[in-house]
Amino acid sequence: MEITKKDVELSGKLAKMQVTGQEADIYKEQLEALFKWVDELKAVNTDGVELTQTAHSAHMRHDEPKQDPALARTLISAFNEEQDDCAKVKKVL
Amino acid sequence: MMTVSEILNDILSGKRTAEDVTRACLDKIKELNPQINAFVEVWEDDALKQAQAVDAKKARGEKLGPLAGVPVAIKDNILYKGHKATCCSKMLENYVAPYNSTVVEKLLAADAVIIGRANMDEFAMGSSNQTSVYGPVRNPMDLERVPGGSSGGSAAAVASGMVPVALGTDTGGSVRQPAGFCGVVGMKPGYGRISRYGIIAFASSADQVGVLTHTVADCAKVLEVLSGKDPNDSTSLDAPVPEYEKLFTDGLKGVRVGMPKGFLDGLNPVIKEKIEAAAKTLQAKGAELVEVDVPYAKYSAPCYYIITSAEASSNLGRYDGIRYGYAAKNAKGLNDYYELSRAPFGLEVKKRIIIGTYALTSERYEECFLKAMKVRELIREDFKKAFEKVDVILTPTSPTTAFKLGAHEENPLALYLADLYTCQGNIGGLGGISVPCGKDEQGLPIGVQFYAPILKEEAALNVAYNFEKGL
Repeated sequence: MEITKKDVELSGKLAKMQVTGQEADIYKEQLEALFKWVDELKAVNTDGVELTQTAHSAHMRHDEPKQDPALARTLISAFNEEQDDCAKVKKVL
Repeated sequence: MMTVSEILNDILSGKRTAEDVTRACLDKIKELNPQINAFVEVWEDDALKQAQAVDAKKARGEKLGPLAGVPVAIKDNILYKGHKATCCSKMLENYVAPYNSTVVEKLLAADAVIIGRANMDEFAMGSSNQTSVYGPVRNPMDLERVPGGSSGGSAAAVASGMVPVALGTDTGGSVRQPAGFCGVVGMKPGYGRISRYGIIAFASSADQVGVLTHTVADCAKVLEVLSGKDPNDSTSLDAPVPEYEKLFTDGLKGVRVGMPKGFLDGLNPVIKEKIEAAAKTLQAKGAELVEVDVPYAKYSAPCYYIITSAEASSNLGRYDGIRYGYAAKNAKGLNDYYELSRAPFGLEVKKRIIIGTYALTSERYEECFLKAMKVRELIREDFKKAFEKVDVILTPTSPTTAFKLGAHEENPLALYLADLYTCQGNIGGLGGISVPCGKDEQGLPIGVQFYAPILKEEAALNVAYNFEKGL
């Protein structure tokens, strides 16, 4: 599987990370080596293989969402500011 | 070196107090940690208060918990309320846990003494403990060598005698591989045996909490305390927890030990010799050796790196400067804010996120991620069939012994191969325990690993216990 520097930069962008030109060169080389290894999987016949959800089986939660006012208060009070019983975070825009 | 059993005997008999034991560990940490760097923070005051509380409880004649006064180190990705948990990353350098993980709750309920947080590879991504923001951990057996990883601090803390128990986490071998490199016992139970509530996630379909100790009996004691269903973790299994030590047998008559076909081909001759000798020891204890075929297991490592990187790219999306992590200053817009806030990730973490993101792109999803997931099913099926014929499966823990610090810098794929025999357990959801089985020509420890199916940890523990006794 051929990996280009552009693939690395695009993946960095999708992951919302800055990737410098130098980093992209390093990652490209390392990803190429890794994906050559991953190419071995192509030789495996997986026709008709169905996926399960977890290592043992699919588990659905039977519990209900918990209301824990004390925990909510602890979390809110961990912030510098609060307003209307909510944590106030600084503007990002 | 103190074992859990010796500490419990001393405290219960009054030979030593919990405070004596804790102070002895704190002194050892002061003496050795500057060279080894196993601990990134020691909670001396808290630990002494906990130890004094255990002594007071004993003085009042109250029943003590099963780990009364036993000092424990926890890996730096396990939440302990009011204490830092940083994943040894700059990204979380000021993160203080707002609640206790279930494993910490269970340790405290068992009257254990939590002594500090152990060094690790950043976000548990690594096999050598060289990617920590706090610097590398050194192997107590040879300070020029790595302790393995990612729970390298936990393994080194136990191996050097700083603590008798440490908790780690294991996503591809991160408890068992460092246990093997440092010459201690390390166990990752099957998927779902121990709650992961309050563990900072790396790859959710593979992450498990594990235990590092000096002896198999100690490991069994701690595993029993930590195991069980937790309503806060829907992936934890609702099954009774056995009293593991009571299930230990004297000898292995009737126990079938699987020897996977081809697993030792091309292996380092010294390690191969020790693994074959381990099999003979089990045979001498009455076990029957049975060849098993797990043909797809050889694909575990590439599957592991695709699946766990994809899961990591999703799990680590939360470090965006708003929900968690570093908050950038002077950003020029939202995208700029995200990018600047995610800059503190180290090179290895960034690389894994990029691998995972790439494998999940619409162009590569089917041939990479979906393919790896399907091959994973075949690997699981392989092990399921093998366990119809045997009780445990024996493998080496690692293909090499501890390597020098800085080795493989130019070839990270060689580092990824360190997980060759251990990541099979995470891909298959199996329980696995690594036990020391000898040393190489340089005196470096070698580990042998025993796998058991999910919820059959007692089988692996019993074989490991008999093996340890037979050495």
